[in-house]
Amino acid sequence: MIIKKYKKVSSTSALAKKLKPKVWSIILAEEQISGYGRKESQWFSPKGGLYFTIILPKSKIEDLQTLTILAAFIVAKIIKENFDLETFIKLPNDIYINQKKVGGILTENILGRKVKFSIMGIGLNTNIDKFPKDLENIATSLKIELGRKVNNEKILKRVVDGIREQLKTIAE
Amino acid sequence: MHLRFKIKGKEYDVIILETGEGKVKIKVGRKDFIFDKEEDKTSIAKTSFPKRDFFKKEIKTPISGTISEIFVKKGDFIKKGQKLIFLSAMKMENEIISDFEGKIKEVLVKKDQKVKERETLIILE
Repeated sequence: MIIKKYKKVSSTSALAKKLKPKVWSIILAEEQISGYGRKESQWFSPKGGLYFTIILPKSKIEDLQTLTILAAFIVAKIIKENFDLETFIKLPNDIYINQKKVGGILTENILGRKVKFSIMGIGLNTNIDKFPKDLENIATSLKIELGRKVNNEKILKRVVDGIREQLKTIAE
Repeated sequence: MHLRFKIKGKEYDVIILETGEGKVKIKVGRKDFIFDKEEDKTSIAKTSFPKRDFFKKEIKTPISGTISEIFVKKGDFIKKGQKLIFLSAMKMENEIISDFEGKIKEVLVKKDQKVKERETLIILE
């Protein structure tokens, strides 16, 4: 797994679109200055969280849509299996614990007549200790829920493996 | 038929004559050009239609969705690969880029408009 690590970026997806690295490589950042979700919503991205973008292979647009929806299930399943936390998915791409958002997924494509480039950005509130006032009632982190730190690298690897496997199944 | 043209200050005398045998003679100054009328007609008809289709440059959306942003306008010259439109579709954000180079004749969509798969978004000249 090729992981390009950064301390601080504007957003891992914005950087991925600029650098256009090899398929299945990962852009990982400790911190994002302007992390974003769907419809230009902001994604609070302080140190401690897990923020990464996967470069997807050129696929059919329908397969990418299926993968986007399944990615939320993959992340939710990993949280449930590894930390025994009850997760809920708000389709298509948000993951909740106790009615508070813990993760989000955004797939972005560059299209001509066909798909030219696709990325999937994932933001997971893992080791975030505290949220600002305007977010504390709507967002949570694995650390807040568990009362302990989690291993970001392990989660990253499991999510990417899960997505890779899933896309293979969808495309077959 | 006798015509007189002035091109870049120089005058040209042009005489068009039917010579019989289905031929047309065009006399420009002292030079003669002879054309076979029928042959020219058929060759124009044959080439004009496929040519028009071939040069028809349209940007279509490969998927249904809602236009969230338009980056270009009528009259703009666009390059191949240039970002044209943002489309929120199928739970994904999509950047539509140009497969062509050319001048925009018309932008057929507006912000927040819903579009269907294969719908034309932009026509180029």
